[in-house]
Amino acid sequence: MTGQRPAPGPGPAPSYAQLLETNQLIQACGDMTYWLCLTRTVQGSKLFPVSAYILLSYLNAFYRYPTLIRKVEAVMPAEAIADRARQMGVKAQNSSIGWALPCFYLLGREYLINLGFLRPQDAIEDVVTVMDFWKRFQLAWHRNDGHLTNADNNQRAQILSHADVTRFAGELHKVVPGDALSVAAQRFLATVSQYGFLVSAESRISLTNSGPYRLDADRQLLMRDFMDLGETSLPWLDDIAADMPFNNLTVAMEATGCNFHLVDDWGSFEATPEFTTDRLTGIGIYASDTLSEGHVPVAMDSPEALAAMLHDLSDRAKVATDRLWMRMAGWSRDQLIDAGAISYFAICKEIAHIAGVFDPADWLEIDPRAERFRPLLSDEYADNALGELVGGISLPSQQTAPHFMMKWSDQPTRVLTPLPLSVLNGAPFMGRVAPTQPGASHLPPKNDRYRTTRGVLGLAEYNAAARSFVPARCQPGPNFTCDTTLAWPGSVE
Amino acid sequence: MIVLPTDNHLWGGEPNSPLVAAIHLSVRDLVRRRLVQSGLDWNAFVSGPIDDLIGQDDFAAIDAAVLATGHRYAFSATISATERPEAYQGLATLDGGFDHPDAPSAPPDAQGRALCGTGDNVVQGSDVEGVARFVRSAGQVIALMEQGIPQGSIAIIDDSGGTLTAPILNRFAGLVCAGGTVRSHLGILAREYGIPCLMNVRLAGIQDGDRVRLETGAPARTAESYLSGTEMPARIWKLA
Repeated sequence: MTGQRPAPGPGPAPSYAQLLETNQLIQACGDMTYWLCLTRTVQGSKLFPVSAYILLSYLNAFYRYPTLIRKVEAVMPAEAIADRARQMGVKAQNSSIGWALPCFYLLGREYLINLGFLRPQDAIEDVVTVMDFWKRFQLAWHRNDGHLTNADNNQRAQILSHADVTRFAGELHKVVPGDALSVAAQRFLATVSQYGFLVSAESRISLTNSGPYRLDADRQLLMRDFMDLGETSLPWLDDIAADMPFNNLTVAMEATGCNFHLVDDWGSFEATPEFTTDRLTGIGIYASDTLSEGHVPVAMDSPEALAAMLHDLSDRAKVATDRLWMRMAGWSRDQLIDAGAISYFAICKEIAHIAGVFDPADWLEIDPRAERFRPLLSDEYADNALGELVGGISLPSQQTAPHFMMKWSDQPTRVLTPLPLSVLNGAPFMGRVAPTQPGASHLPPKNDRYRTTRGVLGLAEYNAAARSFVPARCQPGPNFTCDTTLAWPGSVE
Repeated sequence: MIVLPTDNHLWGGEPNSPLVAAIHLSVRDLVRRRLVQSGLDWNAFVSGPIDDLIGQDDFAAIDAAVLATGHRYAFSATISATERPEAYQGLATLDGGFDHPDAPSAPPDAQGRALCGTGDNVVQGSDVEGVARFVRSAGQVIALMEQGIPQGSIAIIDDSGGTLTAPILNRFAGLVCAGGTVRSHLGILAREYGIPCLMNVRLAGIQDGDRVRLETGAPARTAESYLSGTEMPARIWKLA
């Protein structure tokens, strides 16, 4: 466990500059949330009580993220984690960190303010901690495009360096519409996408996209990541996914004749004209995790070997999908809610894997302070409360002075409540919530098998390996060689 | 009555949903009572005792009070109504198909096509025709896994996620979904599989076994149109 009860209470108030910066980050998250939820979502599921598990995950995030972030940062700072993450296709990018980490936390806070559990200034130190972590991660992850979010960059994530793009483009296998590799690629992308939605309990968080990168006037490269596919850190994949040979797979995809005009902070993409499989003209596939030297090619020796591998992975994903679906179809409501809530809450668990401090008790359980709300979370209440929180923006705390015109809607509303500056006048506040408390889950506990690029490891071995490993690309010399360095040879080295 | 620090929001009002408003009022009243019982000021109360003094039983009591008014919850996940039939309404509606009262309709045209619905097109391709089959429960999915799905079947679904139909989705010639947007999970999967699909459909007058035509040759609905509220309807016809 992470900490003992309680001993929170007021610490020093943040400085004026900290408050201003934190409030700007909160507002950016609110604007991002509104746009994403309005244009990207509206989910319904007959299988999962989605809204109920989302609200539970927000509460769990509020009560646990600050402690877990401090635990991770005691070992590795946010910006170093982001530098590692940029070299991998794992859940430490969009939407996991880019949107979910700050917004799950802040939406949990907003919900609790409306329930009368918090004032806007309560947990102020936690809020500053979470937002500061997020800012530093985002600055490093986006360092090659110089933005904080995809939304800031006209809906793009050009996170790779010129050397990275050159490498991936150079390793692509040519695809001709209708040929064997094209057929295998389409089958793989569809099958693994469907598996990913099921793995993450009816959410899109096992899939993401980044880029695009211009290769020439007619061709673009999109990086597509499929994550948490194996028997690694999600307990409901124990046994089910034992035959999945990779936990994370990245597809480098060249498209011809379309412009990926939008890659958003949830990692969804849109193209003009629409991307269809006949526009797929090149493909490469890579495995990666916190123990790999970046992206490791998978069966890239020849087009034939790659096509065979894609079919093999599709077969394995289809078998795992059917087995997992049958397992989930037999679950109780509490189990379905826990799988969803843990999927969401643990969306950023990779920061603990990278730092080598992953603990199932931290990431795979519901904190009792969140768990107590479960009886409230009927489908109807949860659907309506979540709808008001992220769509209608109609909860009392979200109403603002009448002159205010919210980005995107012009309405006098805010998705997320800022920190009040009056703490600088001596207004009382609570600094931190109590540390993580012993939690529980209705699901079977995680077994001690973690599929990595170094084989199946036990948790202690996995954490120790992560703590002792620094990929070559993240050593100080290579890590601080950037496109600006390359652009001015001899002048900045 | 004691006033919580967050009771007086200058511009706050109440949530739109009466159920949300009622439950939030109950929770805030619970917080007030526990604050008084604690004998603490807010700052001391919120720094730890609030977590000791308000527990799961308190929220179960609020749920029971809602049900005691005669209210029964609408369900979204089948399991919710299955496990607590006394607390939910409407499970029987999963039998058969569904009709939307605001679905557009028109008499058959010269080609025998009767307009019976509209939706948002996921990918602009060609129109598709097939035989309608409603898929609304895990039991139906298991049955279809065992019996197989006839070629040319078009799934009529009211679940915009991709999980309920996960084992069988790729075997349909077309998809019609009564919820979601073109960016919902089902829309994403339809695009990946290359299956013609209409989302956010308003549909009426279709039964299992009817032949239908989907206007998936219509332009795909854009993010801008969702933001501006501009409709881009693609039509569904029942064929003679």
